[in-house]
Amino acid sequence: MKKFTLAVLSCLLIVAFVFSAADPSETILIKNGTIVSGVGNPIPKADLLIENGKISKIGTDLSVPAGAKVIDASGKYVFPGLVAMMTAVGVTGYPGAGNDMDETGISTPHMDPYDAINPEDECIDVTRIEGVTTVQTVSGSRSVINGKSVVLHLAGNLVVEMVAKRYVAQIINIGAKEQNKYPSTQPGIMAYLRAKFDAAREYAKKQTQKAEKGNDQNKTKEDFVKRDLELEALIPVVTGKVPVIFITTNEVTIRNALDLIQEYDLKSIIRAQSGILKYADRIAQEKIPVIWAGTTGIPQRWEPHDLNYHTAAVLAEKGILFAFDPGGWGPGNRNVRNLTEPAAISVAHGLAKEEALKAITINPAKILGIADEVGSLEVGKTANVVIWTGCPLQGRSRVEAVFIKGESIPLTSFQTRLYDKYKKIVSDRINKK
Amino acid sequence: MRNRLIVTLSILIMLTSNLGAQDLVLKGGTILTITQGTIEKGMIVIQNGKITAVGADIKIPSGVKVVDVTGKYVMPGIIDSHSHIALTDINEATDPVTPQIWMWEALEPGSDSIKKTLAGGVTTVKTMHGSANVIGGVNVSIKLKYDRSIEELIIPGVRQQLKMALGENPKRLYGSKGRSPSTRMGNAFVARKAFIEAQEYKAKWDKYEKDKAAGKKDLTPPKKDLKMETLKMTLEKKLSIDCHAYRADEIVWIIHFCEEFGLDLLQLSHCIDGYKVADVMAEAGVFYGGWVDWWGFKEEAYDGCPYGLQILYDAGVKIVLNSDSPVEGRYLFRSAAKVLKYTEIPENEALKMITLNAAESMELGDRIGSLEVGKDGDVAVFDKHPLDTTTKCLLTVIEGEVFFDYAQESITVKGGDR
Repeated sequence: MKKFTLAVLSCLLIVAFVFSAADPSETILIKNGTIVSGVGNPIPKADLLIENGKISKIGTDLSVPAGAKVIDASGKYVFPGLVAMMTAVGVTGYPGAGNDMDETGISTPHMDPYDAINPEDECIDVTRIEGVTTVQTVSGSRSVINGKSVVLHLAGNLVVEMVAKRYVAQIINIGAKEQNKYPSTQPGIMAYLRAKFDAAREYAKKQTQKAEKGNDQNKTKEDFVKRDLELEALIPVVTGKVPVIFITTNEVTIRNALDLIQEYDLKSIIRAQSGILKYADRIAQEKIPVIWAGTTGIPQRWEPHDLNYHTAAVLAEKGILFAFDPGGWGPGNRNVRNLTEPAAISVAHGLAKEEALKAITINPAKILGIADEVGSLEVGKTANVVIWTGCPLQGRSRVEAVFIKGESIPLTSFQTRLYDKYKKIVSDRINKK
Repeated sequence: MRNRLIVTLSILIMLTSNLGAQDLVLKGGTILTITQGTIEKGMIVIQNGKITAVGADIKIPSGVKVVDVTGKYVMPGIIDSHSHIALTDINEATDPVTPQIWMWEALEPGSDSIKKTLAGGVTTVKTMHGSANVIGGVNVSIKLKYDRSIEELIIPGVRQQLKMALGENPKRLYGSKGRSPSTRMGNAFVARKAFIEAQEYKAKWDKYEKDKAAGKKDLTPPKKDLKMETLKMTLEKKLSIDCHAYRADEIVWIIHFCEEFGLDLLQLSHCIDGYKVADVMAEAGVFYGGWVDWWGFKEEAYDGCPYGLQILYDAGVKIVLNSDSPVEGRYLFRSAAKVLKYTEIPENEALKMITLNAAESMELGDRIGSLEVGKDGDVAVFDKHPLDTTTKCLLTVIEGEVFFDYAQESITVKGGDR
């Protein structure tokens, strides 16, 4: 009897395992949905074919390839997976000791969230089942120089399976004043950053010289450069290979970031939460992308109530490439799934719907340098596809299916499991009475 | 001469007090009454600050200002039963028991937070003491009459609520100072000790009043204690309680505690785990006050679950959506829309969570929270259905007076980039 139970159990386990490990090479045909690809107009009653994790065909009346799984999307909307910037998905973990954000130190450019990504982070499931399929996860925000950031697809059981791109940007908080130690003022931060950039340039120069001399016998003592991991992490920044995301807090920090960008010829992105419109023309002229994190912020006493709500509309009007920040970053807020919220609010206050959708799909993909892979539904791109009951900007719209790298994602999270568990517990208690 | 002055003064006072309560007709909109269905192309008449007519075919009274809201949506003014706006101070975080604190003494009618919140269609809030103390201060329910006198803001005749807070906040605050409470046991002890003392205090005063009424001579009144005065009022149910409680065990604990001491527990705030004990809450008749989808921002908030609202609803718990923040207080209607994403709760019930249920949680269900004849003329007008997340508030009316007008106060309308 025991043996039998064991056999049944192991069978069940194997079955469970096979079903849980969805096959990324599966061929899936999504039929008869309205495809809102992000390129051109929505196509009604259209089909989308996923093969080998990529979008292989988009069109009407596509034939069903042998062995393909067919998904009926009649009356539904097929959108590209949403792309969220500046999140902490994968590193926040359980509050307290589970949180791996914000390493100690004023300058920690060498911190790489890749080293701390936990594929078991509950936030991954919670986020992806609401249509966000790709995120940029950052190392922190509280220091001046915080560290690297990484782009993840929210599918996979190992970090190597999740990573779309490493070291996509360095995170510098230009307003992160220290308390009771240097740099404790805004000019102090400027001097601090200049000194770091200068040191990194110098270090880069020495490294180049060292490389050029190779095994030259005439090397002097000075040619031996001691390895400095902090400065090493800044080399791609000062050589313009990796962009800096400047976290700004107000018009002063925006101005200072713009000055530094010019002075050091940095490839940069401005993350703003206030004061951005005062520099919108300059930002447009210098073609600097913007992460707009201030939609839900409250304007100052003297400012109109809808200044922040309306800001995205102005950014779009000026032709600035911008993405919405879910506001869900940092250990305080795990609601990256609410990425659609600032987009919807902005639509209410003057932003075109198409522009709002771009700012949570293709724009962040462009800013992160992954637009050839995600951000729109186009043949050849990674199959990050979401089926919705309506426009994602509508709070009531629901996600019906999610595919990440062609893999069908179960629409469950620890929250759906909590619901199932307590629905039963509560109704059992009620029935007993 | 003196008499004439008094007469003139009283006429002046009458005039000014009448200025506040205005007459207004909103015409042509889709009226979401909350209690009596939806009226297409309806009309709502407000006279002397009160709703005097709601319907489709109503004669417009003469001499009343008429605003055409054809194609727009008209709903009751939104109510936030857990807010901290309009206050100069929030937490008397110096002692875990501070019932001597009355929040109306921190009320700032000219606070910009009122102005910014009005823009979200909100007309009434309960603005509260913070969560630093196990027993905090007495909250105050106000109408958002920006920059008027506090007498105009504070809703008259309503029973106010004492704020209590359990869990991590008092624990962390006092524990980090090496003081008690530093555990949930400590929180429980602090509350119990305070109310036991209040029972004794009340007994002394009751005896004194009884003896006095019986005509006994040479009585010395007991020593007055302001903390105990408030707790005595709470024991006498002259105040009710709104308790901040995240975890299921604490929710059950406070319900039992209030039963034990005979306290009126009206609302549980930040009720993250409420769904786990929905049946217990339903039986106690306590309102769920909380958010739709907040979770994980601290340990006791980890199990926040938007689907849980369905369990609460099915168990018969009345749900109230709160902001707890000036940010979300400006778009509570978007929170209500999210209820439709995560549950099967009907639209009108979702709207109740920011109107009638909230009103009832503040014992104002007979005055506000729906568009009915006899209720206050508190109205919010939206350009689309308020549960459409691309909508915005166009008009906020309190007792017939326009306190927010999008056309006048919007940069989107005016254009420009500054």
